[in-house]
Amino acid sequence: MITPDHIFDEHISFEQKALRVFEYQRTNNPVYKRFVNALGIKEPAFVSDIPLLPIQAFKDAKIITSEIDSPLHFQSSGTTGMERSRHYIQDPGLYQRSIIQGMQQFYDLVEYVIWAYTPGYNSNPNSSLIWMLNTLIKRDESGLSKFLELGEPLNESELREIQRSGKKLMLFGAAFGLLDMLEKYPIQLPEDSVILETGGMKTHRREITKEQLHRQLTEGFGLPESQIHSEYGMTELLSQAYAQGSLWFKSVPWMKVSIRDPKAPLKEVPLGEEGLIGVIDLANLYSCSFILTGDKGIQKEDGAFQVLGRWNPQNLRGCNFLIERD
Amino acid sequence: MSWKKAHIDQITEATRNWLEPEDPHLQEAISKTVSEGLFSLQDVHHQLSVLRGNVENGDIQEWVKRAELSNEQNAKARRVLCLHAGNLPLVGFQTALGVILSGADYYGKVSRKDPYLLSSFLEEIQRSDPEQKISYSRDLNSFEDLKADKVVFAGSEESVSDVKAEIKRLKAAKQGAEYIIRTAKFSIAYLDEWNADVRQDLTEAMLRYGGKGCRSVAVVVAPFGLDEVREELKQAINSYWKQNPQHQKPTSDLKYQYAYNEGIQQNQLWLNDFLIQESEELPDTDFTVNWVNGGKDTVRDLRISFGQMVQSVYTCEEVIEGIDTEPLSSAQSPPLYWKPDGVDVIKAVVG
Repeated sequence: MITPDHIFDEHISFEQKALRVFEYQRTNNPVYKRFVNALGIKEPAFVSDIPLLPIQAFKDAKIITSEIDSPLHFQSSGTTGMERSRHYIQDPGLYQRSIIQGMQQFYDLVEYVIWAYTPGYNSNPNSSLIWMLNTLIKRDESGLSKFLELGEPLNESELREIQRSGKKLMLFGAAFGLLDMLEKYPIQLPEDSVILETGGMKTHRREITKEQLHRQLTEGFGLPESQIHSEYGMTELLSQAYAQGSLWFKSVPWMKVSIRDPKAPLKEVPLGEEGLIGVIDLANLYSCSFILTGDKGIQKEDGAFQVLGRWNPQNLRGCNFLIERD
Repeated sequence: MSWKKAHIDQITEATRNWLEPEDPHLQEAISKTVSEGLFSLQDVHHQLSVLRGNVENGDIQEWVKRAELSNEQNAKARRVLCLHAGNLPLVGFQTALGVILSGADYYGKVSRKDPYLLSSFLEEIQRSDPEQKISYSRDLNSFEDLKADKVVFAGSEESVSDVKAEIKRLKAAKQGAEYIIRTAKFSIAYLDEWNADVRQDLTEAMLRYGGKGCRSVAVVVAPFGLDEVREELKQAINSYWKQNPQHQKPTSDLKYQYAYNEGIQQNQLWLNDFLIQESEELPDTDFTVNWVNGGKDTVRDLRISFGQMVQSVYTCEEVIEGIDTEPLSSAQSPPLYWKPDGVDVIKAVVG
């Protein structure tokens, strides 16, 4: 039986772990089992042969590997009446490990104070992002990490205190949250600070590109672009990818991204071509690790990927005219 | 004789000649279309047979009357550029005929997916009426500097800006030219009864041309579930396919959708090359029909939520208050004057 320890064991190759997780989930996750059987897939020889479950499944069904009650579930945000994803968490400790060990791949966490310009944990306990931030904040023994009050300016004396402590600020926030704060309360952050934006580039009212966002954050906070970082995560994943000063995300060792052909999702598109972002997140051990997201992306040879927004199926039904090319 | 009468008579005669089953030009176009695998012979024959019926029924005259075309009210000397789609055989025919009937100069970019059939019609018009300006090409670049007054094309939201930019680059249309853009993608059928005739009409409406036309039914609303009619529907579909084998095969994302439905235990009828599934979502993939359990209110709600993507709402006989409906039996055999996106082509070109 595969355990969380196997997931984080660096001595076992990703390929081996993924094939074992596949066997476990195709046996124990009823939704994934029916999906795989319907595709007629028996024994995938390679990780790339493992079918990815459309992410919509987290809205349409309970994606679990056991009927044991989950102590926690995460729910995607949305407006009233909107269908929301639910991710049942059987082992919160596994998520905690994924968060901490994952961030440690990119940051020396001891050096940082975490400020989260997001709703607080108590008002949003079912957000996987808030849960992650709460974990990071609670872990910091300096006591300087915290959730900030939304709509309030950053406290300059607290910023100085962080500097005095010899630590650096890591400011988390959603795209428009950070921009709104800058507009209302312009502030220059200590020069070694890092901004970690968590996405949310498109709301029902506003839309911004990643480049525009990073430029505005750079100018607004007075930081070099190399210190504007991004996090790629979602309710349905228990691991994250990070982009540090560029648009290219890199994932943690137990998570692999591939770009799939939307017309043939079992196939990867050639490097550099756009397609649907597919994720294998082994930390999703007790739900489903093999996920086809609804995001559009491209990938480089080293595995780094860019997120290019939501995939629009470009409904080709009906009498569409597309400029035909020779 | 007035311009209008002479013009309409001439076009009607040319259309009738072109539609003659023995017409060698049409025969050649059919043969090339089928041998190159563009469309199935059955689909081409169906389309031509519908058009023959239209012309014999006097649809051309009826259309001209409905559009109030006259010696005074016409589009003579106006340049109209048509960018034709090619998703089904002769999908551009109605637009081309409408533009020509209006008296406008016709310029057409013919689709590479349907290059022969429409061209054979346009050639016939040229032969019979040398004064009617007809110019067509498979290459949009041929219309450089045309400076057309109006442009007609069918496009998705995503393609419109690309197409407009290309036309602008080529100066194929005047600055400020009117664009008549068709956005409808599919049609809805409301079934208030279930019998052999309804099954046959529904099957034709869903499967003709592989379900790829905007008149094709992609959403079925019925007060009974898919499970209740599954076997009878399957039989009707299989017997339709015996006569009209599905020409184009779906890409593997269709099987992926089927497998997904199996995963989440969504009710569906999987037919290997076609999928009917219980879902209220937008039907955004080819070869898929979404089945919704509901009544007239559901039809009204879906009509509103799918908006401009809906071409027509069909019923067996019922009237749905507040919505224009058409008989399900006419889904794939509409009169010539049917209105894509609710727009009369002749009126739009003249106006």
